[in-house]
Order: sequence, then structure tokens, then C-alpha cells
Amino acid sequence: MAKKGKADRQDKVARRATAENGPRIGVYVCHCGLNIDGSLDCEEVAKYASSLEGVVLAKDSMYTCSDAGQEQIKSDIREHNLNRVVVASCTPRLHEPTFRAACVEAGLNAYLFEMANIREHCSWVHLHDRQGATEKAKDLVKMSVARARLLQPQVETEVPITPRALVVGGGVAGIQAALDLADAGYKVYLVEKEASIGGRMAQIDKTFPTMDCSICILAPKMSEVGRHPNIELMTLSEVESVDGYIGNFHVRVKKKPRYVTDDCTYCGDCIKDCPQHMPNEFDCGLSTRRAIYSPFAQAVPATYLIDMDSCMNKHGIVACDRCYQACQHKCIDFSQQEEILDLDVGTIIVCTGSDVYDPTPLTELGYRRFPNVITSLEFERLINAGGPTGGNLIRPSDKTVPKSVGFLQCIGSRSKRSNPYCSNICCMNTIKDALLIREHWPDTKIYVFYMDIRAFGKGFEDLLMRARREGVVFIRGIPGEILQDDNSYSLKLIGENTLLSKLYEYEVDMVILSVGIEPRKDSAVVKRLLSLPSMADGFFMEAHPKLRPVDTPTGGIFLAGCAEGPKDIKDSVTQASAAASRANILMAKGKVTVEAITARIDPERCTGCGLCARVCPYGAILVDEETKVATVVEAACTGCGACCPECNFGAITMRHFEDHQILAQIDALAESDAGGKILAFCCNWCSYAGADFSGVSRIQYPAEVRIVRTMCSGRVDPKFVEYAFAKGIAAVLVSGCHIGDCHYINANSQTEKRVQRLWRKMARLGLNKERLRLAWISAAEGMRFSQEISALKEIVEKITPEEIEKGIEAFAPKRLPKGEHPDEATRPV
Amino acid sequence: MKRPGLFNEELLYECYQCARCTGSCPAAFAVDGFNPRNILLTYLRLGIEAVITDEKLWCCTTCHVCEDRCPQLIDVADLLCSLMNEAAMQGHIPEKVRASAEMILRTGRALLVSRRVDSIREKLGLKPLPEVPMEEVEGILDQTGMAVLIG
Repeated sequence: MAKKGKADRQDKVARRATAENGPRIGVYVCHCGLNIDGSLDCEEVAKYASSLEGVVLAKDSMYTCSDAGQEQIKSDIREHNLNRVVVASCTPRLHEPTFRAACVEAGLNAYLFEMANIREHCSWVHLHDRQGATEKAKDLVKMSVARARLLQPQVETEVPITPRALVVGGGVAGIQAALDLADAGYKVYLVEKEASIGGRMAQIDKTFPTMDCSICILAPKMSEVGRHPNIELMTLSEVESVDGYIGNFHVRVKKKPRYVTDDCTYCGDCIKDCPQHMPNEFDCGLSTRRAIYSPFAQAVPATYLIDMDSCMNKHGIVACDRCYQACQHKCIDFSQQEEILDLDVGTIIVCTGSDVYDPTPLTELGYRRFPNVITSLEFERLINAGGPTGGNLIRPSDKTVPKSVGFLQCIGSRSKRSNPYCSNICCMNTIKDALLIREHWPDTKIYVFYMDIRAFGKGFEDLLMRARREGVVFIRGIPGEILQDDNSYSLKLIGENTLLSKLYEYEVDMVILSVGIEPRKDSAVVKRLLSLPSMADGFFMEAHPKLRPVDTPTGGIFLAGCAEGPKDIKDSVTQASAAASRANILMAKGKVTVEAITARIDPERCTGCGLCARVCPYGAILVDEETKVATVVEAACTGCGACCPECNFGAITMRHFEDHQILAQIDALAESDAGGKILAFCCNWCSYAGADFSGVSRIQYPAEVRIVRTMCSGRVDPKFVEYAFAKGIAAVLVSGCHIGDCHYINANSQTEKRVQRLWRKMARLGLNKERLRLAWISAAEGMRFSQEISALKEIVEKITPEEIEKGIEAFAPKRLPKGEHPDEATRPV
Repeated sequence: MKRPGLFNEELLYECYQCARCTGSCPAAFAVDGFNPRNILLTYLRLGIEAVITDEKLWCCTTCHVCEDRCPQLIDVADLLCSLMNEAAMQGHIPEKVRASAEMILRTGRALLVSRRVDSIREKLGLKPLPEVPMEEVEGILDQTGMAVLIG
């Protein structure tokens, strides 16, 4: 409590300091080279800004984010005694921290800084509407100034970071990340779903472009993980739940039993006597294993395990104890139970890897119909010395060595029928495979059917040239169809050589489909557990594609390996080390400041009804039954704001996103031509980022829209929407993350309920429901955002002045709940 | 009617020339030089004239296998169909196609039905072919403007 008292005192001091002079705002309009100035008039916007209430000075500059630009702001703050700063430039998701730091250096509280996004949300999306873009930029600046007038200084709290890390997934990325962190001295929990770590890299034979033996370079790392004193390896384990926040995650892990104790010496006596035969998943089903087994020879931990789905002993009934009898050390324990482990960690690295594409739906290729059509992963097992054939490449149909082999590229990649992206590794993998065949069976004819060979990495082109020199035939044109000779089981490929414009028919003994990579089937579970956003293709999204490539938008959670996108081993390892280093930075610092945007409850107004506590996704609000007052656990509150609209007594204040600050933005935008404008509420994580993305992609949409940013769509109070209609605004868009993808677990489910309630109310009042639109837009759906705005624009064009008037009357101030009088919205600081 | 202007041409630019269409095309294997991939590319690069003046365009049987297998979901058969329509509008109709169209105009059938056909049908235990309701056929052909097209 003492700490909070101190913060309050600091708060008061800061408030007094700014209140003395009234708002003195400095506005900086950035040209961003021609990025902004190219499609709107920055000078005019700056001139306009200087006429706004409270603005002391307004300037336009070439690059406000440059050192010179920042110095200008700093000296102006000192010289003109500015107590608020507004920068109109790019998205706050990019440069808000930069400008905040500049303000702090000049002695201004970081929370007295405000940004107007006139690049991503204006100049880039209205490239051909200079007038409209300039008007919009003026409006955006006006809204920011209105908000800035009401901003309050805030004091950030520091939270400690637990110096332990969780690594999810034990493929090569997870192994590397775990080893890096463990070597740096942190305790690491490595959770792996399968019975052994190693992942996909353990399955493949050689790596490109150096042709290193894959398991030979991986196995030493695997055993290092197994014996590292700082790593606690948990196999057959899955993350059950994740709570908490950066630096303080509580993770629950479910560990399935192995039914074999740690005393196992890996002698192998048990497996010989097991009567149950099952397809071996590690060999892609090309061989069999027993019910008691080890996935592969180099497995870590090096103990056997029993697969209870295939063992005869179930539900405590022992029908067969041959393995138990065979085991000299008596390591088999049928009574082992599932364990639940609770871990406290400071950082999490997600390395959940990828699946391979299953080409069965592409029926013209005959996979699963023709025995000699196999996938590239199956080929890896066939040519691997540790595989089912001891490294002999044989045809599954008759166990003979193929005399000719055809590789088909881009199977399951770059196609709207499967996955639209390039899987990155298949071209080089095929070239490597072709050279392997050349090496072992030099007389084999090898054809590679391709569209484009993408050999972009270091040493890749050399390998491609070597394959060409060694006689691998590259044919441009994917076969349309594969036919099988029913006697010899050899295959006929028919298609067109596009470079010669000639049709071909090739007869080969074996076809290898170079299949692509796709997100793991259970990636949706991981996504939900950690509330991570993902791209349209299902891979997890980085915080920034260029500058924060291994961070997720959630603090303290990092990405590595194929979970983020298709990549080869080298890139996975690079990324894993990067993620470990990012986690290390946090843990070495030992503490992190949390944004001062959390909720505060006024005990005077609170009645302890508990409505807010019910909607809090984090259980951060506690209601004292005796005193009938709710309090916020500051460290657990993430600042989504879902609680605020629930309160009927106006007792909750969302710091930095206060009601009157948002209402002032609406006021500012409604001052002129409200009947032709669209107000869009966008959540910081998905729809605002989606709108940014449409800017980055230069997807054009009508200039009538003005965006108000909230942390979560759950912050959007129905009274904001009513207020907008009462001010005569034509249409309102409420947008957030997709249901199930909410950055704040499920706060957006409240948004949905509230908007539906509003629709019902509008219908009751005889208003056109179409004027309020609800849209779920992810950070990757720039196109979707522009479509929503275009759709709203069409609706706005149809709305009559009478309808607008009706809305103004229906939601006139007297109907505003709990004393939110418009006067209050513009009250002086 | 399917016409090139009405076709979603933006989609055509997504073609990356994998040649699955030609590789799947039964007509391409029967007729040397007929090549749906090549027609698409020529149309995009050299314009419609270069495509519709080539009589090989008419080899497409509209079996739609190319569409089934196109990884980019391009309506290849629809494109060929609309190009054939355009070719016909501009008078580029191959002699054999014209002859069979004329046959339809005259007799209501694309092929001449000789006595031999009737005798074969009789042997197979099939009823003789019914009379063509020429009035109805003529009505349809009038509405579609086929007579004008054939000239």
C-alpha cells in the first residue's frame, strides 16, 4: 500500500504542475518525406492546428522522428513551457515510444503526449484525394488536440520479472532457445508434446546446403538438453493454461505418464517381447513399432515408453505383462498417473513448429492410391540410415531400387487449392534429395518438375548448379496428371514443358511429392492459450515484421522456428537464439514498467455490485463483500477497459483512455459536417493494426472515416456510440479482434453483447440499424478494413438528413446515462 | 453470354504458368499445338487479336478439367469459351465449325443423319430418331442470333 501512496503523491505533484498554466499544446505535423506531404498539404494542416484552442505553437517538419525533429520538440517544451505535445505523423504503434521518450527528456510526463495518425490512416490510403486527405488530417489533428487538452500525467508501475523461462516445443528451435537461456544461467522448462525432443530435424536425413547429417549435428544438442542442470525437460507434456502477464506467467502443464521409470537403461529387452505392432509415426507409418517403444535411437530422454492406446493393459487391468517380465531392472510401472505441474515463469518462447501438407486431396497425383507416389518427408525416412529400410531407397510397391525418380515441386504451396504461400524449404530440399540419390545410386534418372526454383540463401545457388552439373534434369511445368501402370506399378507423368511449349510423357519408377509446410493442426490451441494473433495462413504473427521479428504483441512471449512461418534449420536456429536473447534482456533487467493505462475504481462511487468483476477477463477486480467496494489488482490489470462500460455509477476510470477524453474526440470530429462522417472505434491490437496494414499496403478507401483508438473494443462504451449519434455523426464502426482471438482473452465478447443491445435499442427508437456496424478485423486484414469502410460509405450516402435528425433527438443529452453531460467532456483541466 | 470483357481478367494475372492446365488437357494431347496455358499467356501479352484469329482455339471441348486442377482457381475453360464467342462475333469461325453450325440452321442437327444411322439404330434395338421440331429450334436460333453470326 505504501508504494501506491507514493505513486498517488507523485500523481498529484504532476497534476499540479500542469494545471497551473492550463493546456499549452505544441503540434508537430510531419511530412515524412513525401509519404505524407505527397498526398496532403502538411503546411495547411499545421496552420489550421495553430488556430485550435490551447495550441501555443504548430509546426510542420520534414522528419519529426529524426534527431533534429526530436530536439526541436524538446527545446520547444522548455522554451515555450509546453505541457502537451501532439505529433501528427505515422502510427503510434511505430513511433509513440520515440516521442514519449523525447518528451520525458524535456521534463514532460510521457502520458501528456498524443499522436495523430495521418500516414497509415490518411495519406497512404487516400493517395488520389488530396482535398479529402487534407480535411481528414485536419480533423485527426483536431481530435488529438481535443484529447491532449484533457490528458493527465500518469506514473508507471514496475513489476518484477521471474528469472525463469518456458520453452514450448522441443524441435531444433526449442532446443537452441532452451540451451541459450540455460547457458545464460536461467532455469528453463522445456515442454515437448512428443516422447522425445528433436522435432522434424530428427526425422530428416541430410541438411542443405552443406549435406551435413541431420541427426549427427542435432543429437549432441539433444543430449546436452537432457543433462543440462538448468533445463527441466518435460516430454509427453502439454501446456494446459497460461495466466498472468509479462514477467509473471503462471503456467499449468499436463504431463502424461511414460509407464517406464527413469531407471530405464535403454537396453531394449522389453520391446522384443511386446506382442502389439503399430504403425511407427516417426517413420511416417513406413515401419512398425511395438506398444512399448522408443521413437528413435537417439531419443532424449533415452527411456522407453508405453503407448497406452496400443497396449493391451487398459483401465488398470493387466492383460499382458511380458515387458514387465523381460525388464531386468523392473522399470515398468503401469500405475503411473497423469501429473499436473504448476510453473511460474517470467518469459515464454513459442517454438511449436509445423506440420507437412497432406497431398491426398490432390487426387490427380494419386498419393495414397499409387504406392510409389510418396512425400518428401517419407523419402527422408527411406533414405535415412536409421529409417525403416536402413537407408536403401526402395519402391514401396515391390521393394526394388527405382531406376528413375520424378520430383514434383510446389505440392501444397503457392496454390489457392491448398496453401497460398511459398513454403520456403522445398526447392532446396528437393535439390539436396536429388543429389543424395545421385550419390548412392549414380545411374538413377532424376527429373525435377518445377515452376520456379527459389535458391535464395547462402550456398543455395551453388548446390543448384551442382545438381545441374551432375545431370539432374529440371523441367519447367508441373505434370497435370500421374497415371499408374497396374502391372509394373511404374508411373507416367504427363504435362507440358513450358520452356519448349511441348507436351511430355515421362515414365518413372517413383514419384516424390515435394510437400509444403503448414501450421500445426493444434496451433489454434496454442494461439488460444497464449492469446497470440496469427496471420490469415495460420502462422503466428510477429509484433513487427521487420523490427521485432521474434516478439509477439504480448509482452514476454517470443516466437522461434516454423511456428512463425516456414523456414529452414539455419533460420530456425537464428531465430531461436534471437528469441532467447530477447527473453534474456527482460530477465537480466529483472523488472519491467507496465503502461499506466490500468483501471482505477473510485471507492466513493462504487456500490460493490460486482458487474465489473464479472466481465474482467483476468479476474483483476476483487469485490470486498463487507465494505461493498471493488478494487483493481494493478499488476493483473491489463488496461483493456472492458469493465468500464459495465459500471452504472461512473466509478471506474480507465487511465489515459478516460470517458471524457474519448467524448472530446467525438466532439471534435462532429464539429463540422458530422452527417457525412464515419466514426470508427478500433482496438489497438487487431483492427487498428489492420487499418495500419491497409495503409502500409496502400489499399485505398473513402476519406470520410475518422478512427478513435481504444486498447480493446471492450472499452467502447455504448454511450460513446449514442453520443456520436446525438452529435449527428452518420455512421459508427465498432471493430476488434476476431472472436476467440481477443488480445484480452475474451473481452471482445462484451463488445458483441453491447453492440447487439444497441441495435435492439436503435430498432426500438426507429433508427436505421445499419448506421452502427460491428466488424472483426485482424491485424493482417487490411483489405477487410477497407471493405468495411467502403460498405459504410455506401450506407452513409443513403442516409437522409431526417434520419440524422432523428438520431440526434433519440440520443439527445438528456438520455445520456450517469451525468455524462457534454459540458463535462470539454471541462478545462 | 460469356464474353472476354465480362470475364474477371484480374484473376488471369495470377497465373504463374505451372502448365497444369495443358498437362491435364485431353484436347492438347489430341491436337498438336493446342495449348490452354499458351492461349492465356498470349491473350495477356499480345492481346485478344492474336488469340481469336488462331483456329486452334476451337479445339477446347469445355471439359473443365483444367479448371478443376488449376492451383490458382482460374476459370480457364470459361476464358476459352468467352474467347470463342468473341472470335465468332468478329467472324473468325473455322470452316468445319461453320459447316456444322449451318447444318444446325438447316436441319436442327449438328451432323447429317443418313439412312445408315437409322439402320444401325434399328439393329441396336433403338427407336428411330424423332423429327426435329424445327419451329422451336428456329425460334431459339433467332433469339441467340446464330443465323446472323453465321451470315
